[in-house]
Amino acid sequence: MEQGNIAIAVDGRAGKYLAFNLGNEEFGVQVLKVREIIGVQDITAVPNTPGYLKGVINLRGKVIPVIDLRVKFGLEQIAYTKRTCIIVVQVDGFNGAILIGVVVDGVSEVLNITAQDLENTPDFGIGDTIPYILGMAKMKDGVKMLLDISTVLSQREFQGVGAVAG
Amino acid sequence: MTRILSIFEIDSETSRGADLNDILNESKALSLDQLRQQVDSLASDLILAGGDDHSANQVIDGLRQLCELGLDNAQLFDSVGKVQQIIATGESANRQLLLSNCISELQVAIAATQKSSSDSGNNKSSMFGNLMEDPELVQDFIMESMEHLSTIESSLLKLEEDPSLTEPIHCVFRGFHTIKGLAGFLELESIREVAHEIETVLDLARNLEIDMSPAVIDVVLASADYLKQAVKDVEQGLKGDKKASQPTAAILARVRSLSEHKSKGGNQVALAESAKNDQKANQGISKEQLPNTKTESSNAVSQFSIRVETAKLDHLLDMVGELVIAQSMVRHDPTLAFSGSVRLQAHLAHLNTITEEIQKTTMTLRMVPMATLFQRMKRLVRDVARKAGKQAELELVGEDTELDKTVVDGLADPLMHMVRNALDHGVEDSGEREAAGKPRTAQIGIRAYHQGGQMVIELSDDGRGLNRDKILAKAKQNGIVAESAHLTDTEIYQLIFEPGFSTADKVTDISGRGVGMDVVKRNILKMRGRVDIYSVAGSGTTFFIRLPLTLAIIDGLVVGVGTERYVVPIFAVTEMFRPTREMLSSLENKYEMVLVRGQLLPIVRLHRRFGIVAKSDDPCQSLFIVTESDGIRFCLMVDEFIGKQEVVIKSLGDCFKNIQGIAGGAILGDGRVGLILEMAGLAMEREAAA
Repeated sequence: MEQGNIAIAVDGRAGKYLAFNLGNEEFGVQVLKVREIIGVQDITAVPNTPGYLKGVINLRGKVIPVIDLRVKFGLEQIAYTKRTCIIVVQVDGFNGAILIGVVVDGVSEVLNITAQDLENTPDFGIGDTIPYILGMAKMKDGVKMLLDISTVLSQREFQGVGAVAG
Repeated sequence: MTRILSIFEIDSETSRGADLNDILNESKALSLDQLRQQVDSLASDLILAGGDDHSANQVIDGLRQLCELGLDNAQLFDSVGKVQQIIATGESANRQLLLSNCISELQVAIAATQKSSSDSGNNKSSMFGNLMEDPELVQDFIMESMEHLSTIESSLLKLEEDPSLTEPIHCVFRGFHTIKGLAGFLELESIREVAHEIETVLDLARNLEIDMSPAVIDVVLASADYLKQAVKDVEQGLKGDKKASQPTAAILARVRSLSEHKSKGGNQVALAESAKNDQKANQGISKEQLPNTKTESSNAVSQFSIRVETAKLDHLLDMVGELVIAQSMVRHDPTLAFSGSVRLQAHLAHLNTITEEIQKTTMTLRMVPMATLFQRMKRLVRDVARKAGKQAELELVGEDTELDKTVVDGLADPLMHMVRNALDHGVEDSGEREAAGKPRTAQIGIRAYHQGGQMVIELSDDGRGLNRDKILAKAKQNGIVAESAHLTDTEIYQLIFEPGFSTADKVTDISGRGVGMDVVKRNILKMRGRVDIYSVAGSGTTFFIRLPLTLAIIDGLVVGVGTERYVVPIFAVTEMFRPTREMLSSLENKYEMVLVRGQLLPIVRLHRRFGIVAKSDDPCQSLFIVTESDGIRFCLMVDEFIGKQEVVIKSLGDCFKNIQGIAGGAILGDGRVGLILEMAGLAMEREAAA
């Protein structure tokens, strides 16, 4: 193995990321978790659920939940545009892997992020680090926040759904 | 000690001459610790002599384990002796085989010891060690054996009915033989051994050297049961749930006694006699009176079937659903309507026919005939009747009726309880029957048929019927029913489904605790079915179980509220109407109700419940659906009725598990997801809000 690559191998966060944006902020999600990217379609709202859970869609015969990251991250809600799309990611549920759709403003490219590009989340003085941020990638065109999508969509948060409805 | 070790030197000429008995006798005096030491040195010797071969190591492992378990010396020495012999005499190829036999034997011995030792929890079992090497192979073995065992059972029952038949004997023989072969391959020694002994008996029967008397059939059935349990144990072992296998000694002894009787010749009379007694006891038990052609046809079908994972089936179902939607989208596309091409329309119509056919076929893929379930009932009637000392005949109709696999599985338990009850409580014993002027042998009938898009299973007996007064008295005594209540017969009969309700004077080991019928009701309700009872005192009871053909699909009404559409399961709907102003009234301007056919029903506005915007807030512009669930009747207010559709129920997944009022999702005609409403949940929410 070459010298330079050793550092990459050490940092598990390095690898390929799908870049997408929400407003002015750029994010990255591990390519391995992404199953497909589809355009926005009719979403059936499920009543009495938190706002970021937009509802369910029909993905070729399968009913999958869709969440809106804008709402989830507390950004202002905007009307869906042509660029708006749903990234279908696979995360581990209680009973095996499940598919979840994530509404984002648009996807741009696949980034190859090396260990040198990575930096830990700076301390914003808010106590604990934000659990679903894996780290920051310093790219030429700006900083991308790398999301741990399984944590963002953690089942623990979904479990609250029942409580809200009740 | 050195003398023992010397015997294990494979190439040593002298070892052949060694007096094994001498050594063994000498060693019997050794303590367990010494034994352990011996095994250890034996191990190192074997490695030195035979090299690294795997089997030898396994033998040593087995011996070590036996030492640890504190097996009695005699047995251990027996095994040691065998190993010695093998090593001393065998050529290398043969030795391998003999050694592996020896390993299996050791494993059986270990398993047996583990079972008998009290602290079995701490023991390591190597019995299932080999299983883990190829779980898929073992899984196949389990499935195949189970299939063979059920064929064996049915053939045996056929044979019991007419012992002169030869084909069932061959069929049973083949089944056991396959199991033996598979078990031998997987080194499941106890299974192989039992199957082998049974084969010996069957071989005698095949050559007409013994009769297939009920006594013999009993033993063969018992061993089939044993094998079933053993296979289940293997399954448990596969799941990592380690459990020692059952002792084989008892069953082997029973089977062997049969073949020995034959060889001794003289005892055959005794056997025949005991068989005769048995026959007397169960004259005419459980005769299937199905037309032969039917049975044969179902057998022929099962010959040409393949097993498919349900996940694959579900996926196929999903895709076909999508195909139908995509096809209908193309068909209704405005561009096509304008094109006016006759040829195109014809092609589309053709495509439509094909898609429909595909959809219909896919839907039937999950359907299986009732035959397997009926099979179990035959056996059950035979066993229970014998246990209760009654005579009963089972009549089965509709073996080929097809039903969703999940429904068939869910039906197994209720049907079992009902048959047990019918035999234990419903049917009188022969004396009583004769006194009542009925034939000595009772008739139990199970009929399965389709009726109006539903599955009906009818279970009838010609016993004493339900005792209306006794049930009512008991219910009043238990406080289930008020003293002054006047109930119809139907209502009274339904009381037997109450948990813990039993009019039996004594609890037998068959039934009487009042649990069974509660299970029946619960399971059937769970499958969206219902049970009705018709009974005539003195001449019998009939249970009608009505079930949907499949659990995957429901008939639904698609209704619209604002921009959303919901599916209301049709079985929950009593009626639909548009109210007029004078039907409506409210309490404190808050709780609304509507007068329908002289009954005041509360109103649930779906848009308020779900927090969405409706087209109109005026009830007179809306549609009211009268629904009933768990005895609570209410009116659901929606905007409009869109249509009726058969929908495939889909889970919304873990994320939306606990949403009240939503039972699941369904793909609607335009490809969108519609939510299926759960009426009980809506009613409950209504209570919470009020």
